[in-house]
Amino acid sequence: MEYVNASSVQQVLDTLAQADGRAVVLAGGTDLMVDYKAGKIQPQMWIDVTRVPELCGITVKDGKLVIGAAVTLTTIARSPLVRQYFPSLAQGCGTVGSLQIRNSATLVGNVVSAQPAGDGAMSLAPLDPTFTVLSAQGERQLSMGEMYAGFARSTIDHSRELVTKISIPLPQPGEAASFVRLELRKSLSLPMLNCAAMVHVEDGLVTWARITMAPVGVGPVRAQAAEAFLAGKPLTDENMAQAGQLALENANPRSNPLRGSREYRLDTLPVIIRRALEACRDQLAH
Amino acid sequence: MAVLHTTINGEAITADVDPSISLAQFLRDNLYLTGTKIGCGKGECGACTIIMDGKSVTSCIIPVLRAEGAVIQTIEGVAKNGKLHPLQEEFINQGAVQCGFCTPGMIMSAKALLDENPEPKKEEIREALGGNICRCTGYVNIERAVEAAAQRIQKGE
Amino acid sequence: MKYVGQNIPRNDGFDKVTGRGLFTFDVTLPRMVYGKVLRSPYAHAKVLSIDTSEAEALPGVRAVCTFKNTTNKVWNGAAPMFITPLPHKPVLDQTIFTDEPKYIGDEVAAVAADTEAIAEQAVKLIKVEWQELPAVYDPLEAVKPESPEVQPKFANPDFHNICGGPIVLEFGGDPTPAFDQCDAVVEYDVTLPRVKQAQMEPHGAVATYSPDGRLEVICTTQSLYPTKMILAEALDLPVSKVTVKNAPYVGGGFGVRIGLSGKAEILAAALSMQCFRPVKLIYTREEDFTCSDSRHGGYLKCKLGAKADGTFVAIDTQAWLNTGAYATFGTDLVGVCGACGTAGAYAIPNFRYTGWPVYTNQMTAGAMRGFGTPQGNAVVEPAIELMAEKLGMDPIELRKKNSTREDTKNWFPFPPGSCGTNECLDKAAAAIGWYDKHGKAGEQTGRIRRGVGISAGTHVSNAAPFCVDYNTVILRIERDGTLFVNSSIPEIGPGSTTACLQVAADLIGVPYKDAVMKFGDTDAAPFDIGSHATRTLYTVSYVMADAGKKLRKDIFDWVGPKLGIDPENLDMTDGIITCDGKQVATLADMASQAHLEGKQFLASSCQVPPNCLPFYAQAAEVEVDMETGMVKVIKVAAAHDVGKAVNPPLCRGQIEGGVLQGVGYAVREEMTYVEGKGFYNKGFHSYMLPTADDRPEIESILVENPDPSGVFGIIGIGECGVNPTLAAIGNAVADATGVRFHEFPLTPGRVLAGLKAAGKA
Repeated sequence: MEYVNASSVQQVLDTLAQADGRAVVLAGGTDLMVDYKAGKIQPQMWIDVTRVPELCGITVKDGKLVIGAAVTLTTIARSPLVRQYFPSLAQGCGTVGSLQIRNSATLVGNVVSAQPAGDGAMSLAPLDPTFTVLSAQGERQLSMGEMYAGFARSTIDHSRELVTKISIPLPQPGEAASFVRLELRKSLSLPMLNCAAMVHVEDGLVTWARITMAPVGVGPVRAQAAEAFLAGKPLTDENMAQAGQLALENANPRSNPLRGSREYRLDTLPVIIRRALEACRDQLAH
Repeated sequence: MAVLHTTINGEAITADVDPSISLAQFLRDNLYLTGTKIGCGKGECGACTIIMDGKSVTSCIIPVLRAEGAVIQTIEGVAKNGKLHPLQEEFINQGAVQCGFCTPGMIMSAKALLDENPEPKKEEIREALGGNICRCTGYVNIERAVEAAAQRIQKGE
Repeated sequence: MKYVGQNIPRNDGFDKVTGRGLFTFDVTLPRMVYGKVLRSPYAHAKVLSIDTSEAEALPGVRAVCTFKNTTNKVWNGAAPMFITPLPHKPVLDQTIFTDEPKYIGDEVAAVAADTEAIAEQAVKLIKVEWQELPAVYDPLEAVKPESPEVQPKFANPDFHNICGGPIVLEFGGDPTPAFDQCDAVVEYDVTLPRVKQAQMEPHGAVATYSPDGRLEVICTTQSLYPTKMILAEALDLPVSKVTVKNAPYVGGGFGVRIGLSGKAEILAAALSMQCFRPVKLIYTREEDFTCSDSRHGGYLKCKLGAKADGTFVAIDTQAWLNTGAYATFGTDLVGVCGACGTAGAYAIPNFRYTGWPVYTNQMTAGAMRGFGTPQGNAVVEPAIELMAEKLGMDPIELRKKNSTREDTKNWFPFPPGSCGTNECLDKAAAAIGWYDKHGKAGEQTGRIRRGVGISAGTHVSNAAPFCVDYNTVILRIERDGTLFVNSSIPEIGPGSTTACLQVAADLIGVPYKDAVMKFGDTDAAPFDIGSHATRTLYTVSYVMADAGKKLRKDIFDWVGPKLGIDPENLDMTDGIITCDGKQVATLADMASQAHLEGKQFLASSCQVPPNCLPFYAQAAEVEVDMETGMVKVIKVAAAHDVGKAVNPPLCRGQIEGGVLQGVGYAVREEMTYVEGKGFYNKGFHSYMLPTADDRPEIESILVENPDPSGVFGIIGIGECGVNPTLAAIGNAVADATGVRFHEFPLTPGRVLAGLKAAGKA
């Protein structure tokens, strides 16, 4: 085992290229170290990116909130910028694992680990983020949906690629976002269900809504039927309840021995979607 | 093997380490700082909590070489010159200690909180301790001990 | 009393807050190697062949043990083997390793190697040819004659898959005809989960066997002498050559290591006997969760009859508890479930209980805080609630009318002692705001409903006379007048060693400050059964009272002639020797003089302590989300008659810790079995015990009615906190929603399904 404390993006890319698949990018490591200790992954080299200056920091640039890949969940949860523009993102990032985990773990890691119901990833999902990914082949930009290849499988090959940042368009007037978690315990537990929503309302009518939910498929799943239904309608109790019901059209939850049966998840998904929409409406009312 | 340069409880340390081990293993097995416990090895119980560069982290899932250049505090470094820290005294006074296996991690989480925020609200204390499992106390006296220590620290102790 | 009743900081506090205190987990010895275990992947299988040659050939491997090269003596890894009083016979059904594993995780082989990594690798190199056999998992399935036999050699020959039992307890008249005389009869049944102790220090042992035949084991046991005896018996060693000690601290117990810690001690010892090196074997958290005794889950039903005025007439309870693959405490616990859980709290003239400890192909269930009482409480207390509804009485009034009094005759072969139930009920009710909040289900319409519930109960303060349960202490005065107490109790967390010293200082009349206790070591003192049955402080105090009397006599008999005073006229408090209230000497001076003349003040005592019933009541307030089924416990008010709180903060700590375990039991904690894979809950992330940011307010209320049997009036408290919590919360949920649940824990899925079935969601 070799360990490289990288000091620049270029060094990361060069080292990845030289290692030719034998090295793995390590940020917080709160998932990877557990997998490594369990023998699930066997890299020959860790490339620690947590001290790469280009990957640290939260800034606003060109109408976007930009979060570096090495920024920890705690930093995001407490960031005045994040709390100003996207309180629901601060809330979701502030929910992952425990404070100790959030002090190490990153939001990019929460997405790349590709657990469907990662709370940080879920709160990010409806915000229309763009991920910047670098590799020997150059740069590419991926949307939230393009980050997930399957259950617990990311489209990012962490032995060849480096995610450098997340860019999120700043919210416009009439927009609000929310995050709801149905939980057995606040800390040290995955949710039974989680969901997030973002809406744009003009003249009392929803222009567009983005609603994401998990674990009901691969990654945060878009509730497309609910989103389509809401377009052009006001956020009334009836419409929000109806949107909750329509979310079921895009949801295919499995039973989990701990975190709820399929039946329970189907029963409560409409409730939490409705509550997420209610939270958006309440924010817009203030 | 690789060479690690780090600072632990104020002391500069240079050591040959196996890069595949965790920081908790290094502290316990190489330095015999056995106050840092390992209750699960997966970051799920908080018994291995230490303070690294001012933040509480679960050292059982921190790769040892992340400690390169870092400033680390473990439970062994909390008392200064034989004098207990207010948190340590209040853990004893308030009955926050029972079996004692979670205690070092619990104190390190609380210390990271009070170092940064000497006037924490109840919710902030609970957030700081949410990742430290204790099965003995019901957390009642632990919370009370952190509050009592915070008050003493605010008074300048 | 100068020290009893005082808030004295615990004497192991400094060690524990500085990280200096050692646990088994921290022990390193010269030439030490590491043990790892090969466990069965099948719930029931036959080992057709086992080949360890590749493992043995791996560099760094020092020992490989299987059923082929270790003893095949049968024993019981829980304490009962040596503490079951005659004429009862313990169930001995365990061996060190097995060629017929009976649950997923059963021990088939073990390896010791220079590092844990090599040991793990060597375990993987052991080749086993398995033949999978039929298995059964549910107690109600297992009692059917057509189900597979779990323990054909050791089960009760007359009852299919019954371990030892059935246990039938009866007192007074026959309930069956008595029910006909009742004005109201109610029935309640409940399904309870297995839950896990989840103590913070995983099971572990460091065993050192010397070629000259001595075995020393440093380990996490909470009962050092029984462990020593089990090891000697199972390994065929003289008892005198086996030493068992703690490190000296033990990271929690909650019953899971009364006897062996899982099998850590015996596996480490067997490996050490092969390689003559110290072997350290620490369970992984997954092994701890899935391969060591849990609390018993199962099915209970209760029928309760009363007169129209609320007087209880008859009770008949049945329990089918899942004891898993091996007996451990199965038969004992099923008895306690009936005795403490259903017989003790109320005066009921016609009483019967039938308990069935059922073998299944799952991890063994054994002792966990409460030891059957929470299960009994969970079926009786809701039945009382149903009775109150039926009779139109307030549930607290109904309980107070029937609670056990000092003169109540019941199943127990000793008097109940002081009876504080009614005071506890009143104080818990007041703390929760009972009369403002109870019975409001009909008035609530929102998404969130609130309710309150109550539960009362009892337990024991000792296990005598139900098991061989005695203590020995040795007291001595050091040359400077300080007290040194020798006892082989462990310190598993409650602060027993602090409270015992407070009692000793007052009993003998010496200063507490420099008094010391040597504990956690079979070489410290002769037999003491250890920390179980809520007994440590109650029983050690009892034996110290006798030894203390002797010690004072030893001191006064020597001091009197020196001072020319009749020893009968001497007294001593806080190290000052007095006559007629005037100081005549200090103990320090006298001890120093005595030493110079070749005399040390010394006394010992070995006794079977008495027993008494601890009474308590807890009230809970909950919030139920009618759309998601989420139950949030807002507050638990726990009033316990502790007789005398020797150290109030430590005493409250016992209650509060127990209550939170009870909250977990009621609403979240559950070991879920997945057929073919075993228990799903392999760590803290998949076992929902409460965390610091997810707990209710807990108000502990100390009620002090001194017990006539206890020194200074002490009553046992250790286990009691957990006993009534589940029932109080279940009753509160029924009060909030109008729906009575029959299966715990009250997870959101269960609650929502129940609300839907009742047309409320």
